[in-house]
Amino acid sequence: MADRPPALPVEPVVAPVSAPDDVLRVEHIAKRFGPVTALRDVNLHLRKGEVLGLLGDNGAGKSTLIKIICGFQKQDSGQMFLRGESYEPKSVDDARAHGIETVYQDLALIDELSVYHNLFLRRERVHRPLPLLANRQMKREARVALNEIGINIPRIDVAVARLSGGQRQAIAVARTVNSDADILLLDEPLAAMGAKEGGMILDLIQRLKEEAKVSIVMVLHNYVHVLATCDRVAMIQDGVIALDKPTAETSVEELTEIVVNEYRRAREAAHAEEALRAGTRSP
Amino acid sequence: MAGVAGAAPSPTPAPAAEPPAPKSRGLAARFGRATLDRALALREGSIIVVTLITAVYFTVNTESFFTAASFKTLLPYFAPFAIMAAGEVFVMILGEIDLSIGAMYLFAPFLFYKLNTAGIPSVIMALICCMAVGFANGFFVAVIGINSFVATLAMLFTFEGLALIISHGTPVTTPGTPGAVIGSAGHLNTFAEIFGGGTYSELIWALAIIVVLQVVLTFTRWGLYTVAIGSNKLGAAEAGVRVKLVTIRNFILCSVTAGLVGIFEAVRSGTVQPDPAGANEILFLAVAAGVIGGTLLTGGSGTVVGALIGALFLGILKEGLVLQGVNADYLLFYTGLAILIAMTVNIYVRRVRIGHGGG
Repeated sequence: MADRPPALPVEPVVAPVSAPDDVLRVEHIAKRFGPVTALRDVNLHLRKGEVLGLLGDNGAGKSTLIKIICGFQKQDSGQMFLRGESYEPKSVDDARAHGIETVYQDLALIDELSVYHNLFLRRERVHRPLPLLANRQMKREARVALNEIGINIPRIDVAVARLSGGQRQAIAVARTVNSDADILLLDEPLAAMGAKEGGMILDLIQRLKEEAKVSIVMVLHNYVHVLATCDRVAMIQDGVIALDKPTAETSVEELTEIVVNEYRRAREAAHAEEALRAGTRSP
Repeated sequence: MAGVAGAAPSPTPAPAAEPPAPKSRGLAARFGRATLDRALALREGSIIVVTLITAVYFTVNTESFFTAASFKTLLPYFAPFAIMAAGEVFVMILGEIDLSIGAMYLFAPFLFYKLNTAGIPSVIMALICCMAVGFANGFFVAVIGINSFVATLAMLFTFEGLALIISHGTPVTTPGTPGAVIGSAGHLNTFAEIFGGGTYSELIWALAIIVVLQVVLTFTRWGLYTVAIGSNKLGAAEAGVRVKLVTIRNFILCSVTAGLVGIFEAVRSGTVQPDPAGANEILFLAVAAGVIGGTLLTGGSGTVVGALIGALFLGILKEGLVLQGVNADYLLFYTGLAILIAMTVNIYVRRVRIGHGGG
């Protein structure tokens, strides 16, 4: 998209930022899907025990970034570092082996499978030597894990298709928490949730934060949630990080202001593009 | 179950299974709903009832249905489809379909014959070739991205054609069977006894294969991932399930079961027939057995034991109608109706089972 109208008055954070206690660093990540540029040049870091809120308009590239970090997609260019070492996940399993667990926006739940099979998908407990599923053990562990997390699911042997939207979301979140991962990527963990269930998840994240064992990247839409839960906030605009600040130093007003500006710029860009199209070139 | 069995059997046996479903919905009492839920919790529940009613109907209405002789003639009607359906179920749960099993059924025994004449350990080699075809199916579907119906239809034509080419359209005597071993006419050797020639050989194979594959489906990661892919392919991939690998593996399994059945049937009948029409009929009966047994073509749900019962149902239907003296022209007609009814029941059962519409 080099021939985009230039002079967007954003001041993107183009230089890689870092802190001494980073667990994850993402440098110059770019990703295109055919003609669409999802990420242009993303630089992001995550400190140990930190909760980073990731904001951005629909289609800004938040989910793409999450999917690159978790090994589901591969970036076109750029590098990632995990605990100081170069990190190139070959697959979701590989990322998981590196301690990264993900809640996807679409939840990645299997409707036909039971709650406990969903909780343990790809981390199944099996008997030895015959590799049969240790269902009873998984049920027991699932019950304990859900209780610890404080999520109330009456029956864990029913198919998840039978659960409410909020319960499904809770299962998807519980799946990551109930693992050995020390980095959690949560893509809109509060979507489809009622206020009460959403509060439950935010409480859970608060507790995880206090334990300081895991570092979390969380995609959110609600600024109040971001300010209440996250240590730092990063905003993706146009495929770059447009803002990266501790939540203590920003406010709902500032975040709103940025978005309002973005809308204004988008309109101007659309006009400019139209003018361009009216000329000789087509984008 | 008792309540359903009490219903008067109607002239066409299958419809008798339908009444309980809409009735309980009308009552809508919580208690009734819970009881129904439990009865239908077994995926195979509805087809077991339908099969029992069919068997009872024919036992009452024909003199010779419930006899050992009748049972023996029933065996080859259902054991082959049951084995093929068991493999097909693994593909159907993925939400795919494998039509090439008809070709494997036809092709494997000819390959077996050719290899045997060349002096190569032929059953194993023939099955390895089937695995290669299964791999190709899986590759076209999972890696290239061709719709499985189209990809396997192409493979069906290709390999049925290849069977005709290598056989020159001429039937041959199956190796290892009485007709092939000079001086042993009328006496089956151990090989033939085991691989389809013995009266109960196919039944034993069918039961063994079904038990093993049902265990694989229900109690192993392979089975879990198969269901996961069929239910939510993207979600399974996001969770880290290797979708392509599992898909290819299931297509291989499916091809091997079909090739094995082809060899069994060739050994049982003593000749290898270059008959694509017969192979295609077996293919569709195997798919039908899986679907009737409660496996969804849309994927995400299925049972191997159900496929066995589905095959048994089709076998009983055919055997019973023949014994009752029904004109052979009506057989396909009734089979078609039975499949429609069984599918209607299955879709209703699924809705109840996964709590369609909440509640």
